[in-house]
Amino acid sequence: MKTRRDFFSSVANGLHGAALAGLLGRDLYANSGGVFDLKPKPAHAPAKAKAVIQLFMNGGPSQVDLFDPKPTLNRLAGTAPSRELSFAISNGDKPGVLMPSPFPFKKAGKSGMDISDALPHLAECVDDIALIRSMYGEHANHEPALFLMHSGRTIASRPAIGAWVAYGLGTENQNLPAYVVLDDPKGLPINGISNWQSAWLPPIYQGTRFRTEGPPVLNLQPREEIPTPLVEAERDLLRKLDSAHQKQRPYQPELDARISSYELAARMQLAASDALDVMKESEATREAYGLNDPATASYGKRCLMARRLVERGVRYVQLYIENQIFDSHGNLEASLRYACGKTDKPVAALLKDLKQRGLLDSTLVAWGGEFGRLPISQGGTGKAAGRDHGPNGFSVWMAGAGVKGGTVHGATDEIGFKSVENRVSVHDFHATILHQLGLNYRDLVYERHGLKERLTDQFPARVVTEVLA
Amino acid sequence: MRLLLGLVSLVAFGAPTFETDVMPIFKAKCLACHGAGSPQGKLDLRTPEGVLQGGASGASVVPGAAAESLIMDKVVTGQMPPGKVKMTDAEMDQVRAWIDKGLQAPVKVAAVTEHEVRGIIQARCVTCHGGLKQMGGLDLRTVESRLKGGKSGPALVPGKPDESLMLKRIVRGEMPPDKMAKELAVELVTDGETEKLRAWIASGAPGAVPVTATPDAVVTAKDRQFWSLQPPVRPAVPSGAKHPIDAFLLEKLKGKGLGFSKKADRLALLRRAHLDLTGIPPTPAEVDAYLKDTSPEAYPKLVDRLLSSPRYGERWGQHWLDLAGYADSEGFGQDDGVRRYAWRYRDYVIRSLNADKPYSLFLTEQLAGDEMSDDWKKAKGVASPEMLDRLAATGFLRTTPDPTNSAERGLLGERMNIVADEVEVLSSSVMGLTMGCARCHNHKYDPIPQRDYYRLSAILQGAYDPYEWKSPNKRELDLALESERKEVAEWNAPLEAEQAKLKEALEKARAPFRQQGDAKMSDADLAKKFPELAEITRPIERDLQASRQKMKQKPHVRVLMDNEQPSQAYLLRRGDPVSFADPVEPVTPMLLEHPALAPYKIEKPFEGTSGRRLALAKWMTQPNHPLTSRVMVNQLWMRHFGRGIVASVANFGRSGVLPSHPELLDWLATEFVASGWSMKQMHRLMMTSEAYQQSSAVDEALTAKDPENVLLSRMPLRRMDAETLYDSLLTAAGRLDTTAFGPPTDVDIRADKEVTVKATKAGLRRSIYVLHRRQTPVSLMDAFDQPSMTPNCTERRQSNVATQALHLMNGSMAWELAKFMAGRVIDEADGDRGREVEFVYLRAYGRRPNAAEAKLGLETIAAFRAGWPTRLETDNSEAPRAANAKWLAVANYCHAILNSAEFSFID
Repeated sequence: MKTRRDFFSSVANGLHGAALAGLLGRDLYANSGGVFDLKPKPAHAPAKAKAVIQLFMNGGPSQVDLFDPKPTLNRLAGTAPSRELSFAISNGDKPGVLMPSPFPFKKAGKSGMDISDALPHLAECVDDIALIRSMYGEHANHEPALFLMHSGRTIASRPAIGAWVAYGLGTENQNLPAYVVLDDPKGLPINGISNWQSAWLPPIYQGTRFRTEGPPVLNLQPREEIPTPLVEAERDLLRKLDSAHQKQRPYQPELDARISSYELAARMQLAASDALDVMKESEATREAYGLNDPATASYGKRCLMARRLVERGVRYVQLYIENQIFDSHGNLEASLRYACGKTDKPVAALLKDLKQRGLLDSTLVAWGGEFGRLPISQGGTGKAAGRDHGPNGFSVWMAGAGVKGGTVHGATDEIGFKSVENRVSVHDFHATILHQLGLNYRDLVYERHGLKERLTDQFPARVVTEVLA
Repeated sequence: MRLLLGLVSLVAFGAPTFETDVMPIFKAKCLACHGAGSPQGKLDLRTPEGVLQGGASGASVVPGAAAESLIMDKVVTGQMPPGKVKMTDAEMDQVRAWIDKGLQAPVKVAAVTEHEVRGIIQARCVTCHGGLKQMGGLDLRTVESRLKGGKSGPALVPGKPDESLMLKRIVRGEMPPDKMAKELAVELVTDGETEKLRAWIASGAPGAVPVTATPDAVVTAKDRQFWSLQPPVRPAVPSGAKHPIDAFLLEKLKGKGLGFSKKADRLALLRRAHLDLTGIPPTPAEVDAYLKDTSPEAYPKLVDRLLSSPRYGERWGQHWLDLAGYADSEGFGQDDGVRRYAWRYRDYVIRSLNADKPYSLFLTEQLAGDEMSDDWKKAKGVASPEMLDRLAATGFLRTTPDPTNSAERGLLGERMNIVADEVEVLSSSVMGLTMGCARCHNHKYDPIPQRDYYRLSAILQGAYDPYEWKSPNKRELDLALESERKEVAEWNAPLEAEQAKLKEALEKARAPFRQQGDAKMSDADLAKKFPELAEITRPIERDLQASRQKMKQKPHVRVLMDNEQPSQAYLLRRGDPVSFADPVEPVTPMLLEHPALAPYKIEKPFEGTSGRRLALAKWMTQPNHPLTSRVMVNQLWMRHFGRGIVASVANFGRSGVLPSHPELLDWLATEFVASGWSMKQMHRLMMTSEAYQQSSAVDEALTAKDPENVLLSRMPLRRMDAETLYDSLLTAAGRLDTTAFGPPTDVDIRADKEVTVKATKAGLRRSIYVLHRRQTPVSLMDAFDQPSMTPNCTERRQSNVATQALHLMNGSMAWELAKFMAGRVIDEADGDRGREVEFVYLRAYGRRPNAAEAKLGLETIAAFRAGWPTRLETDNSEAPRAANAKWLAVANYCHAILNSAEFSFID
């Protein structure tokens, strides 16, 4: 009986001929127009970032309670909002009153960035992050807002930014997917798998979910009910059958690609398991990411996995957090403490760890949700009150890979309702991420029905140069 | 709209100025076209006033908001300047800074037209004061009805905005009322719109001036000369081959010193034909029958037999559903709501294809089945099969994602997106035009002015009226077949009787207590007051609830139908739903005007519908329409030969690919029409050509001379698409449940989120009968590139990725099927071990193994068998272990065979 290693070496040793050698270890996508693959591709311009870790904060983190202090709200506390602000609430409730933040803000780091008491760990990293306080979206509902943040449109039919990046740059490690999604084991985010779809981009560019509990990829391991030697024996037979079939059919690149994809599958079994095995990290590292604390263990594990993945050459890693953890419609203080309690320490640990390993220079970390929240109360008074969705002004931050640490860019109005100064659209945000990867959002195009499609579609966009070093 | 510039203060202190910061850039990059003489698009960029004035596409800048300025949009997206020399980032920043900080808004007095006002009223008011609803007795759609007003008096006083009720209530923030606006998905009137209304009333609230349709200069006579806009003319068939298709192809091949490849192996051809026409491989019996028939008629007879198989409609129905963008769910929200009656459209398609319904009729029913007869308006509950089919056919334009069942997602912008998606489906699938490119601006390559986009859109806006909108749940009719209604009634009757009894029992139990308490007390309060009563009623209520849940709903039909009085459609500047430019009337694109073609002409078929779509169908199905027949035969060709004669199947325009064989395309198009638009005749024609019967083998010389097989010097070797693979796995394993039609089979979402299909008593149904929910595609098919319908799929793309291998090697489905297949093979071989291998080959590959293959099979199964006893012993299996090992060993063998390249590739 052959061992698995024998299987690899015999395949790699030219069993399938020279044609295969060239195809080995890469996915191939063919249509009448051209061949698409995941080989590394040159960027349009020298890149600062080799990889992106996007920390998606589901639910819509409240800017005025975390990043954007508004003392005016203390003065106006309890007063009625303008008609425009009251119409901004997402359901038929009676609008609440202007509500100041229950969180004190402190100046942190050398930069003296204002940061909420809810984020004590991030406060230690502010000199590495560039805060954008003037983001604005287009929709006050989770579904469309999530689509907008992922694909540049509020509708469910366009490729995600990660898919665009995989399409534009390919990936460094052919044994792992180019675009990996680490979703929360407690459940898929809103919009489910559509968040990381490739839509009309070839399917090889869509996000691959790596589960963070149990086997990382669906069907990654052989079926337990089949005895291991028989799994090997089946592969052996398959190799013989395919090899004979292929020998009679030379010059058929799709057939060759299909056969090589079976090898990649076998190699992925090893590579993916290894990449996600956080037990290979030191106790100190695991402690730093909060793996020993039930509150931070789950998100900490994903942050640590993300580092291990970018270390191995994965291009785009996207992390999600428990369904709607930042969707603070009620009990504002308690719910934000809960959400930050789960994420703050791991996120800070990720930034510090990347920096210490010299990876932060080449890894762009982006933090943010699908929108922010309104400065008025909702669903009660006092401690019971929360805040409704607010897409007109919210905060996100970036770090690493050429981002100017300690920067604060843009501003909302005096109550934190609308972004007013140096406004940054979602398209600007996307263009900036692409820019750090060496991609020009105008040139990253895909021809479809004679139209040059872009991540930013036909919308105006601008790289937010102010947050770049 | 004309801007009358008043006192203009254009320069703010210390800010960038036009002369020093912008003019040099414009001079270098823009003024060649937007300068002296007659500037392009009527946009003159030589002065700040000219920049502010804007051009044909509207204002070019919004002072203080570069991000919202058209000029920045054009520059940033690289649309302008059109040549190779673009603006640099630094230049863009400079222009941006000037718009943001240097340019001040002029004091403007705008002359507002009635059209623009009507757009605003349609967007903000007619949901309650329009054709469907007239709250307060007020209809705001026409000048007369506005003056007439409602219960509170006239809505406006011409010349006196401050005395006009509608304006007063808007200004006071009373209209639209906040809460109702939310519920009805209406957005508030913006300040700019209020000012426009005020200006219009101030100038006497003038009535509409008819818009004279000036022919857009975009479409010239020369433009119309483009090949795909000319009606196809039947060319003479070249000599040199018996079959016309071969004659055309050989002419080109010979030009390159090539001919056809040798004929494919008989059984390879059998498998190809089966998979191509029916989507499933031949059975062992079919293989043998074909081998026995050695007459020259065997192959044409095979094609005829397959064309008359009910499986044909299921296979080619999937192709058509791709074009339509079919799915069983709305596509939005966490629940991705199921479209309960979408399957009627799927069934209509399958039935029509099996019946070889003429394509012209097939298309007409799908565009305007509701306008072909008003029989359905008179029907009460019961529909004839023909009526139901005609109505279900309109499902063609009901496929795109539609979130508007939720008011929060039903805003005007979303509605316009749905209309746009339907225009996309229509134009990409059957017109071969990239109309979508003209939604925000004139088409960049084809002579399609933006106006034409909105004219075509207006045809659909008769039914998809964006201003008086119907959510998908409301686009249903309470009509069904007699048999369906009977079935539900029969099912429900005993339940209803049971419920009546239970209700009676409840009343009986409550009666004595009710006498003790308050007679008016609700049942719930009564039960609260008397716990001993609750003890009795609780189990009865539980039974009642259970019985109600068993009830079947009355079946409906999803349909597209017009509003009685559709709203005015507009050209929307930059595609913005509230930037109303000229009103447009429903009509087909100008580029398709041709002397030989009858123009689009609306005739109202009956009251209550506009006839717009019926007119579209009539116009499109004219025998000499330049696109209809060409686009369809090209689709059929691509699906048989792997590549369209026009490779860009959804784009017959200038940015598309020119036809590789233009004469062949036109010959086929005219033949298609001459055969009475028979699709089956087209299949027959294509498949009986020598070209189709070629081998797919290729060598170095051939790849050098015809690298992409454009000339068809061989048949392409192809991987099965997702559905063919799925259906073939079921067929090879003997697990296919051939039950056709009706509601789709549900899927199972396992704990690890793998989505599989629920089995029926008879096995597993074909892929086309599986619930196509956008958020939960069947994992196996998803991995093999089953498209997500966004909004439709005109051409399948294929990938070869590791996850596919993982699914087939390690997934539950392939292994379960392998075990099932092994069981059947062992049954068939009846103890003859050699025949086991033979049956596996016949089922999976449609051929018998050669000696070496048979030997390898026998040896491997024997080796596999040795691997099982230890496992069965450890598992403490109760079944006969030797027999089980024998079965599982064959299963291992089948599993490898189903994973092999030969199984999923088609020679």
